[in-house]
Amino acid sequence: MELEKLKSELKALNAEYAKIKTIPAEKRAEFGREMNAKKTALMKAIAEAEAAALESEVEPLDITAPTAPNQKMPAFLPSEQGSKHPLMTELDRVIEIYQMMGFDVVEPRQLDDEFHMFDSLNFSKGHPARDGYDTFRTEEGYIPPAHTSTMQHRVLKAYKKNLEEGKNIAVVVPGRVFRNEDVDATHEHTFYQCEGVYVSKDCTLGNMLGILREFFEKYYEQKLDISTQPGYFPFTEPSLEFKIEKPKTLGGKKGEFIEMLGCGMIHPNVLKMAGIDPTVYHGFAWGGGIDRLVMLRYGLKDVRYFESGKLNFLKEF
Amino acid sequence: MKISLNWLKKYVDINVDNAALEKLIDSRLVEIEEIIDESKKYDNIFVVKVVECEAIPDTHLHLCQIDTGAKELTQVVCGAPNVHAGMLAAWIAPGAIVPQSVHEDAPFVIGKRKMLGKYDSCGMLAGADELDFTTDHSTIVEIDPEIAKPGDKLADIFELDDVVLDIENKSLTHRPDCFGVIGFAREVAGVLNQKFVSKPAIEAADYKKIDAKIADQAICPRYSAVVLKKHGEIKKKYLSYQDNLLAKAGMRPVDPIVDATNYLMLLTGQPLHAFDYDKFLAVGGTTEPKVGVRLAKKGEKLVLLDDTEIELIDTDIVITSNDVPVALAGAMGGKSTMIDENTKNVIIESATFSLFNLRKTQMAHGIFSEAITRFTKGQPAYQTLSVALECADMLKDGFEISEIIDSGYTPEENVVKITTDEINELLGTDYPLERIAKTLDNVEFGIKADGKTLTVTAPAWRTDIHIKEDIIEEVGRLNGYDNIAPVLPAHATAEKNKMVATKSQIRNFLSLTGANEVLTYTFVHGDLLEKAGQDVKNSYRLVNSISPDLQYLRQQIVPSLLVKAYDNLKAKHQSFALYEMNQTFSRSTGVDEDNVPIANNNLAMVVVDNTEETKYYLAKKYVEELGKKLGIKFEFKKFVPVPKEAFYEPKRSASIYIGDKIVGCIGEMKYSVLNKFKLPRGVAAFEISLEALTEFATLKKSAPEISDYPTVSRDITITTDKPYEEIFEKLQAKLTARDLVFKITPTSIYRADGKAPSLSFHLDFADKNKTLDASEILDIMSELEKIA
Repeated sequence: MELEKLKSELKALNAEYAKIKTIPAEKRAEFGREMNAKKTALMKAIAEAEAAALESEVEPLDITAPTAPNQKMPAFLPSEQGSKHPLMTELDRVIEIYQMMGFDVVEPRQLDDEFHMFDSLNFSKGHPARDGYDTFRTEEGYIPPAHTSTMQHRVLKAYKKNLEEGKNIAVVVPGRVFRNEDVDATHEHTFYQCEGVYVSKDCTLGNMLGILREFFEKYYEQKLDISTQPGYFPFTEPSLEFKIEKPKTLGGKKGEFIEMLGCGMIHPNVLKMAGIDPTVYHGFAWGGGIDRLVMLRYGLKDVRYFESGKLNFLKEF
Repeated sequence: MKISLNWLKKYVDINVDNAALEKLIDSRLVEIEEIIDESKKYDNIFVVKVVECEAIPDTHLHLCQIDTGAKELTQVVCGAPNVHAGMLAAWIAPGAIVPQSVHEDAPFVIGKRKMLGKYDSCGMLAGADELDFTTDHSTIVEIDPEIAKPGDKLADIFELDDVVLDIENKSLTHRPDCFGVIGFAREVAGVLNQKFVSKPAIEAADYKKIDAKIADQAICPRYSAVVLKKHGEIKKKYLSYQDNLLAKAGMRPVDPIVDATNYLMLLTGQPLHAFDYDKFLAVGGTTEPKVGVRLAKKGEKLVLLDDTEIELIDTDIVITSNDVPVALAGAMGGKSTMIDENTKNVIIESATFSLFNLRKTQMAHGIFSEAITRFTKGQPAYQTLSVALECADMLKDGFEISEIIDSGYTPEENVVKITTDEINELLGTDYPLERIAKTLDNVEFGIKADGKTLTVTAPAWRTDIHIKEDIIEEVGRLNGYDNIAPVLPAHATAEKNKMVATKSQIRNFLSLTGANEVLTYTFVHGDLLEKAGQDVKNSYRLVNSISPDLQYLRQQIVPSLLVKAYDNLKAKHQSFALYEMNQTFSRSTGVDEDNVPIANNNLAMVVVDNTEETKYYLAKKYVEELGKKLGIKFEFKKFVPVPKEAFYEPKRSASIYIGDKIVGCIGEMKYSVLNKFKLPRGVAAFEISLEALTEFATLKKSAPEISDYPTVSRDITITTDKPYEEIFEKLQAKLTARDLVFKITPTSIYRADGKAPSLSFHLDFADKNKTLDASEILDIMSELEKIA
């Protein structure tokens, strides 16, 4: 047997290694290296032989059959056991409302580059504002996006034809984003956002507030007061933080506001870079977290459950 | 950043109550993270006079009789070395809380007690630490008799009845001017619709000038400094209002020179740095200061004020004395020129540096001081010299200016022409010209109106104003975005995103058939790739990940699901199917037209239970039935694995086809792989391209054929070594050839040891035109039985 032969070789090698004591001190290092190299190679061969031995036991399966011989016909798992991920349920709902409101949906990519993450969004090169995003980076310099705004440039370019046809751009981008930070009950390095982009000849900041209020009123199925705060994003000017009155379903009281997203009028440089003339068109954009919506809805206290894969958690949804 | 409301009130007339002010600041200037109410913090703390002070033998304590403003003297024991008769001190009366402990869980309440068993001690004479001004515990504070008398409330003397606003710095990233109390006050005036008028800057008198050698104006747009020669002592004997301001901003008072530089930074936003003049000359070996500003050379070292030695990087900016680095510009001073109690002469530096370089310095050396926080916002150059002169003025009791340094600068003139229509059309408002002009004038913009056109000149501190939108922002913000009416724009219809819709359909189907949707990380540990037999080099690798668990982008979803399968088995779930729809990346897949890696969207599932029976057929059923929902016919053919599918057992796996295109694979894992994942045999998984599912999913469905004549039901068993599919297809072919309406339902596969398997089917069939009679049925069945 190949495997037994290899194992006895290993034994012999170990025995030979013991000779190291009899070797002159200056030659020991080289001897040790040689022996270790042999041992590593032998261990690898043994692992492969063991795997091969395991695999040789394997009987082929009729891949076209409906079941295995003498085994019952497969039946789906009980329906009541199934579940959708709460984040995906929420995302589907968010998408559904925006689609009702006339927004197309574009999905983001999970690996992008410096240009889309920063340059196309009017972050000047080496600007400290780039640090606020705690981005991951690959060896090649690619970036798993830290916000869905990374898609703005692509959306503007792809939908520019709408403007040429006399229509508006109205697109939302829901998807996964990443921040290089430690995970705790309220922080995840992996989370979900939904971006919105709207461009037309005559849209106003008042329209932006109108659309956002409309979305949250549909989402929470009640009339809501809104409030804002000045913000700063290099890619919008003016920039705002948008808050809604905490909805009754979430136990909100009159006058209590919760932060929902960042928004603003698209910076002319961002439009220009996508080939849209900012003296003719203007637009607004916004982006907010989805995880928070789910946590608020269910009163969840720990964001870490979302990517835990724990059935005890998931089956409840 | 912490801002004292009392300090703010010295620069702006706040004519609304605190609640209204907070709301205005919050909605028109900056987010307030926290409002710290200090109005009660100094209750029951009084100025007292130490009338008698006797040492208690054999202890460090003194027995004091103090005048608290009441008729009788009060006795208190004090352990501080500086307690003496005649001084004014701060007395924490019995029942009062020590301010230092106000925010602790169990605040320390002062009482009356007996010391050393016999001396009654009522209350406490407070040190600066107990008053929460410094961490200095060595002495008690002394109060200037010119500003207070016994019985005065300490809070009244030092304006301690205050509210401190803790500001979220992030939203002021582009507003360096707001990092000083004056700039902040200007904005507050703006939101209150009041005109702010800046105090004129101090002008430089005719001092002797020295040059500074600036290697490159790009790294140091302006360098100013004043050289101060000592002519007397600054007596720092009494507790001051300034101490209180520094303490509230989180900067502890240290000594008169450092305190003056810190105070001015908090006031103006311009950071200052003080060098010991004589040490500065000694380091450079010169008799006159030879100040230089240049980039550090690689390998140069510098010992900082806090005693740490750093190796400089070539983007660090250093201040030099005769080319020897003495400070890390904008970040921290050097040890070799640090001021101390013997300092005679000083250089007060007031400069601006490249925020891009300082950002790198901040990251490389991990320095996050108040100064560098301001510099990295891009402090404007206009006020460097005047702030240095103001510092000299603050120190004039002990120092006089002997020389000044100023590299000068070219003022930026930021002028924007804009019409009221442009403003109103972007905001959705109808603000008249007068209102717009007043809004901007309040915060010291220069305004010239010509019809509807405004020529707006930004003040020197607003280096962020360049384009029309910058002006529109000011108008919208200072008038309150909340005063803009939300209005829906004209409605348009949307296009469906087919992949999003397909995913939604898949999610509905799989969850209704008992599977559980999970989300796992896009990033995985290198070990996971190795366990799955995937080539680590084919994964994009993160270079700055917080943890080795998140080092590589995954090539497939199934390995992540196998980990979750193990976790859930361990948590006593016995039979389940986990699925996920997400993106995967492989380096070998290449890049798209934007030159970014192509993303593969996949649907993956693992089917698990705690038996060793194969779950391949259940996994296959999920794929086939899902196909029916999407209008896709899948075929399962001989496994043609790609390298990232190395963990599937080839003898028990299949490639999934739509037509002649491979769209994914399904199968059991290799035993060696299952061992590594600690999973039982029989676990099956599949991973299919969502792009393919989206492409081939169709709304087109064909209606089933139905016969009007009776349906015949028969069972048939065929014993054969041939593949199942071949038999099934032959059955189909025979029944089709006879032009029958039929349905074939597999019922079982039985195999006795060493024999060929027996495949059983239930058949329902009917003729389209007539009722089949017994002989015809017999004929059909006998033909079918010969298939084997």
